[in-house]
Amino acid sequence: MTPRLRHGIACTVVLTFLYALSPPAGAQDKEYAIKVMPPGGPAPRLADGHPDLSGHWLPNSAGQGLGGRFGVDPAARAQFDPKVTPEEPPALQPWALAKIKSMTATEIELAKPSVNCLPRGVASIWLQNPYSTLIVHTPRTMVQLYEVLNNWRVVHLDGRPLPRNPEPFFYGNSSARWEGDTLVVESTGYDERTSMMPEVLFHSDELRVTERYTRPSMNYLIVEITINDPKVLTKPWRSAPRRWTLGDGEVYEFFCTNNRELEELQKLRQQEVERK
Amino acid sequence: MTIPRLFGAAAVTCAVLLLAVPSFGHHSFAAEFDASNCREFTGILTKLDWQSPHAYFYMDIKDGSGRVESWSFQTYALITLRRSGTDRQVFLDNIGKEVWVRGCLAKNGRQHYAAAGTLKLSDGVLRQVGQLQD
Repeated sequence: MTPRLRHGIACTVVLTFLYALSPPAGAQDKEYAIKVMPPGGPAPRLADGHPDLSGHWLPNSAGQGLGGRFGVDPAARAQFDPKVTPEEPPALQPWALAKIKSMTATEIELAKPSVNCLPRGVASIWLQNPYSTLIVHTPRTMVQLYEVLNNWRVVHLDGRPLPRNPEPFFYGNSSARWEGDTLVVESTGYDERTSMMPEVLFHSDELRVTERYTRPSMNYLIVEITINDPKVLTKPWRSAPRRWTLGDGEVYEFFCTNNRELEELQKLRQQEVERK
Repeated sequence: MTIPRLFGAAAVTCAVLLLAVPSFGHHSFAAEFDASNCREFTGILTKLDWQSPHAYFYMDIKDGSGRVESWSFQTYALITLRRSGTDRQVFLDNIGKEVWVRGCLAKNGRQHYAAAGTLKLSDGVLRQVGQLQD
């Protein structure tokens, strides 16, 4: 049996196992201590009539932190239902796929911005961020205060165009417009140390991220991401519409000042290299 | 497409999908710790290092011969601990007391170091303070 075949069979076994672990429909009837937050009333609006996206948003459907909690409805942990809005894996250029396949799990870990205490970048801050985001929204600006690493970002809503030669920023250079009740934010010009997305830890200078924000009700913020980078992807990747829910708890400080993972992982990588 | 090629394509898709599974906010548990090498520990809580991205607590634990060894245990991020009700004061109130923890050892073989999963302090409440290993 070839290694490739063994890998394929192993993957099939893993996916079958994960499917078997998923709760059957009947299991949703169980009484959980923490459930899906109801949508609430109508979304608030700004003085200019657009939806007000302000709020303390949690990356789940419960409106509260769920890490370390017992008795949580699996639906409350989710930001979308993959049966309703599936997400395809990114379609990678052959060189990009080969690059990822050539890396060990430890090397992938060492390449993550999060492990290096670096900002995650615009796509990953919405796609893989277990902490909260506080949004302060006015007709002129949308300020995003990320709990993780005490990062922040200002999106100007004055219709300014994208710069022709953008300075590379961790959170990019943004241009925003309204399409009905959807705020569309396009960004280019990213620092090369940011990831394109959680699964793809690199990008080219042609990376362009489009965020679509809607607030269909008081308690829900929907963020949908499209990533285009023709040097790395064979076609744009689009996320499911992911739900963030309104929390009423504290926003906490998080300065990454005691990072021990790099040393531990570098030691592990050295051991792996020596074993080869 | 031949069956081996089909499986190969599935494996690549699988690899990308599995990378997307969320875990620790700061890093992947599986990259640093061995989920197949977990143990239960009982000992005296001696110290707390309450800093980001992870807290560490220290325990004096007797080995098989009765010799006391100092172990350190990594937890979730402080934010996650606070939101789940296990804040700094909870640990401080248990310094010098006997506690129980289930944890998994580091893959790099670092001595007396593990990721904490579940923890019981003097109140007997089972707390999840790190990724569950089973």
